[in-house]
Amino acid sequence: MSQVMIRHFGIGLVVFLLLPNQADAEENKVSFNRDIRPILSRNCFQCHGPDSTHREADLRLDLEESVKRTSGDELIIRPGQPDQSLLFDRVTSKDPDLVMPPGDSGKSLKPSEIQLIKQWIEQGAPWSKHWAYLKPKSTSLPKVKNQNWPLNWIDHFILARLEQQKLQPAEDADKITLIRRLSFDLTGLPPTPEEVNQFVKDQSRQAYEQLVDRLLASPHYGERMAMYWLDLVRFADTVGYHGDQDHHISPYRDYVIRAFNENLPFDQFTREQLAGDLLPNSTLQQKIATGYNRVLQTSHEGGVQRKEYLAIYAADRIRNFSGVWMGATMGCCQCHDHKYDPYTIKDFYSLVSFFADIDEDQHLRRGSDRIPTVRAPEIFLYKDSEKKQISEIESNMKTTELALKSATAEKDLKQLKQELDKLKKNRAAIDRGATKTMITVSIKPRDIRILPRGNWLDESGPLVQPAIPEFLGSLKNDQSRLSRLDLANWLSDKNGYGLLTARVFANRFWYLFFGRGIAPVLDDFGGQGGPPHYPELLDQLALKFYADQWDVKQMVKFIVMSRAYRQSSLESAAQRKRDPFNQMLNRQARFRLPAEMIRDNALAISGLLVTDIGGPSVKPYQPAGYYRHLNFPKRKYVSHTDERQWRRGLYVHWQRQFLHPMLKAFDAPSREECTAQRPQSNTPIAAMTLLNDPTFIEAARKFAEDVLQHGGRSDTEKIRYAFSKATSRAPEKIESDALMNLLNSNRRVYQSKPKDAHAITNSGLAKTKQNLDAVEIASWTEVTRALLNLNEVVTRN
Amino acid sequence: MNHWNQIQIGLNRRTFLSQSGVGLGAAALSSLLSGEKTATAQSKRQQASIGGLPGLPHFAPKAKRVIFLCMAGGPTHLETFDYKPKLAQMDGKPFPESYTKGQPIAQLQGKALKCQGPLTKFRKYGQNGQEISDFLPWTGKIADEICIIRSMVTEQINHDPAHTFLNTGTIISGRPSMGSWITYGLGSETEELPGFVVLTSVGGRNPQPIASRQWGTGFLPSRYQGVQFNSTGDPVNYLANPAGIGAQQQKELIETVQKLDQFRNQRVANPEIETRIAAYEMAFKMQTSVPELMDLSGESKQTLELYGAEPGSGTYATNCLLARRLAERGSRFIHLYHRGWDHHGDLVRYMNTCCGLTDKPTWALINDLKQRGMLDETLVIWGGEFGRTPMFQGKGGAGRDHHIKGFSMWMAGGGIKGGITHGATDELGYNSVENIVNVRDLHATMLHLLGINHQRFSVEFQGLDTRLTGVEESHVIKNILT
Repeated sequence: MSQVMIRHFGIGLVVFLLLPNQADAEENKVSFNRDIRPILSRNCFQCHGPDSTHREADLRLDLEESVKRTSGDELIIRPGQPDQSLLFDRVTSKDPDLVMPPGDSGKSLKPSEIQLIKQWIEQGAPWSKHWAYLKPKSTSLPKVKNQNWPLNWIDHFILARLEQQKLQPAEDADKITLIRRLSFDLTGLPPTPEEVNQFVKDQSRQAYEQLVDRLLASPHYGERMAMYWLDLVRFADTVGYHGDQDHHISPYRDYVIRAFNENLPFDQFTREQLAGDLLPNSTLQQKIATGYNRVLQTSHEGGVQRKEYLAIYAADRIRNFSGVWMGATMGCCQCHDHKYDPYTIKDFYSLVSFFADIDEDQHLRRGSDRIPTVRAPEIFLYKDSEKKQISEIESNMKTTELALKSATAEKDLKQLKQELDKLKKNRAAIDRGATKTMITVSIKPRDIRILPRGNWLDESGPLVQPAIPEFLGSLKNDQSRLSRLDLANWLSDKNGYGLLTARVFANRFWYLFFGRGIAPVLDDFGGQGGPPHYPELLDQLALKFYADQWDVKQMVKFIVMSRAYRQSSLESAAQRKRDPFNQMLNRQARFRLPAEMIRDNALAISGLLVTDIGGPSVKPYQPAGYYRHLNFPKRKYVSHTDERQWRRGLYVHWQRQFLHPMLKAFDAPSREECTAQRPQSNTPIAAMTLLNDPTFIEAARKFAEDVLQHGGRSDTEKIRYAFSKATSRAPEKIESDALMNLLNSNRRVYQSKPKDAHAITNSGLAKTKQNLDAVEIASWTEVTRALLNLNEVVTRN
Repeated sequence: MNHWNQIQIGLNRRTFLSQSGVGLGAAALSSLLSGEKTATAQSKRQQASIGGLPGLPHFAPKAKRVIFLCMAGGPTHLETFDYKPKLAQMDGKPFPESYTKGQPIAQLQGKALKCQGPLTKFRKYGQNGQEISDFLPWTGKIADEICIIRSMVTEQINHDPAHTFLNTGTIISGRPSMGSWITYGLGSETEELPGFVVLTSVGGRNPQPIASRQWGTGFLPSRYQGVQFNSTGDPVNYLANPAGIGAQQQKELIETVQKLDQFRNQRVANPEIETRIAAYEMAFKMQTSVPELMDLSGESKQTLELYGAEPGSGTYATNCLLARRLAERGSRFIHLYHRGWDHHGDLVRYMNTCCGLTDKPTWALINDLKQRGMLDETLVIWGGEFGRTPMFQGKGGAGRDHHIKGFSMWMAGGGIKGGITHGATDELGYNSVENIVNVRDLHATMLHLLGINHQRFSVEFQGLDTRLTGVEESHVIKNILT
């Protein structure tokens, strides 16, 4: 395999990824969707696929009727007879002019793939529609031998497969690992030592479920789920292009947190974001939700051409919309029919049409280089105190205006006018200071044409009306024109895309709690994305999500209550070798925490974390001059000097062009595009960040103070206290010895350099406790820094 | 894509570990930390490539590295490398509508368009009499080294998307920049400094904003991201030890972390921990080697004067010198930005400013590389995201608007024929008409010189074999190669 990987690193690897279970496949039976379609898609569809403008020999290999038709005297595929099938003939041809795929395509089939095609034809070349476009099918519960293992039906699917493969599920994880896993997975925060103790001691049968229920009820659950959602919808505090000015949107973020906390059904959540403004008597929260349509990247550069940017925004929206809800990569169709999936350029612009009523002209007509920039329409979210002030000012204004009407004396007139001006100024000042947020306002839809090759200067394309992709059927309402609300309803309609949406999200919930999706590519359910490893299980979860009326908490709970979820994440070399991506699910996953959680974790351990929910974004310490490349206007980052310094990572000001370097170092995305799955890197820059970022130094210092105050009397006790606060477990002797050495060595240094000790105790905003010795704090800070840098501390196991 | 990314990370991790000889754990680390080799000795240029993909380069490269001198804002071609006497004749007359009708236009939207003749004189330089304007007398002195391309075209008329296109080959955010592609493909020749470094200079007029997207790694693994060097404060974010913590303490801390991680790894057997140990090792190395790089005290007075460099000033001149030092130490892609070239008005005044800051240092860089025998193996590219209109714009004094249908760049060094001019615009300098060079062709040529066939250098993303050169046709500019 490694040879193949090296030769075809671009292609071989992916195939390797898609087909690893072939050796394990049941009874040697080839599955079209699992085994054959990916080969055809990867190697053939580019020239013999859905894109009609680049189709060779008028042959489509993505349609059954086309594959099973004759070409001249020969059949493309004669079921049962590879030798009489033109397709097989060509892929095995030794003639460089005939062999498929052609040499200059850079693609080639591996012998194992050719063998699969042969077997498939021998087995009658059964065809099926692409799995992701078929509605989820209900399956009966798989039988398992070990009746004791399964806790819910997820486990039946997994155990049945494992038993078939003569594999064992992993042991249950120990209780410490379980509570850490659940706490990070459901709230993004570590458990406190008390919570760990309580859970470990609690021997009752309900202990686990009670823990799950407690975490699901925590307001931090909504924050954790929002972290993921905000990546999908590319939520950010700035416009993204050119001057990257701030815009008003944080109330939308808080809406998302609240929606998850209140367990708003997912179909309604969808509706409110896409079309909350079109709901009858829409509430304030529903209006705020429509910020979704406005949070795309925009440009306020002088000299932007309106038409060009309307086209850029339209494409951005469809990339995001299709990626978020449909798991489709429709971005390709901005310029041409999709190469691999049945989406057409017409489908793309028909979807654009749904969003053609969104008022986004205002900022294009009134471009502004100021901060925040002009992003009307927005709504004001006045605080009660502001509302009171407003009503006072307005009533004063009325009185003054009346007085003005009846006044005649020059002096009175002048005075009243001045008074009125002052009131107006005060009124405007309230608006300036008030919280605002961008919303969607529906205006007369602009005309949408198909833009040939995506070229906005080319107006020769036909006009299109709102419509869903043609191959998925059609959608009608009793008005003349479909609306965003119709589209949103279609996404949750059983007869529309509903069950497919449910599958896209069942997969993503799974990913949140297993580190990988059941289908490997979370935002591409198309032909190139790779089929699910447990298709029946994924279908069952999708059906459940729908049947439960889109109850997200119930879905999450069901997943984390499974035995599969509770497995240990330890992995043997043999397991890794046989199934490197854990597609069989005979163990849990271990992965580095997401960026925000790395921050939250350190702040939580140190006791600095401020757990307020929502509000305007916050500015933690950031290297000086980090925004020097920004202009229009130039700006200086001023970090907050109050409690906002220690808020959770998801509230950090999200500057698209210059994301906070700590978040960036740990793979948080810029949120310019939809991110369904973050990469997980391990770089020297990240190491330097965790070592030296003032936030972590401050956290380490406060952690050290806590150790000195509450860690016990002896150094050994203190090390034990510190270690278990960071890892939730007791240190082994080697571990505490290493830390003890570090401590004593630093004591020697700081005793001889008390100034350095004071440099540590004087750094950061959080004041050092007066009664503690600076040398001791500084020395212990090195110990706690070491702890915060441990792999174990930043890993979810 | 994400699985793909993970595999890539895995793959690169393996090659990284095996080829760089790090990640061997305690033994390698202790030799590093014991200071057997001095930092200086370690940072001398290493021949072996570190990281990079198996099978690359596809063929013998002409250039080992790239220094891209990006003149952000869109320098005028009509006052640098593309002299248009006809435009001078027509100065002040209406610009022929046959050129402009239906064409994209930026700030001049809806305005009357009139010809603006060249705002400076040109001279002929070098053996082949290359025409270069009086704004660039020092560039004139390297006329025999550079190949001027007068027929560039791009697709985007506003700065931000035009930069994104120039750097990533597409305007969609989230795609890898050329420096990331190249370090991903070829690795680097240093393990102590980033393979892809970005230096932006201070000075000049109101600077163009530049997004970090321009050196982003997109869907490639994060370690191929361009690392931005700062001229003030920490040269790299979070590079310095925190106040009150000495180098020896930092070293001891890192050793302790690694020891604990290694011990834990005996219990949990997680390969990720090994990668992490290597990352901490590299971080520690960078904490030494980056300050050493930035320290210009070892450079002769003569060299400093040649560039006009002043340590710590953050000027373009200093960055040019740093570029040479990075090149010596094995960085693969060195991207300089000078951001003052958006001359909608007062073009003469601002050209004097911009050229005053950049012309001589650019000359010095080429000369210095040549003297050190490095020019042959270093590809140097000069240019911006677009050019400027032959039409007048008058924000302040006479200036020019953004222009994408024809503009100039130059290339020099590894594998490039010096002393020639390639391509031409029409007589008004509006459209490229001869040997047109698209940004994609520039990418293809750059990759070619580095030994990469651009068609065979792809990574799958969202189902597509994604390339720097994109899906449209692109060609290596054969005529300008040695």
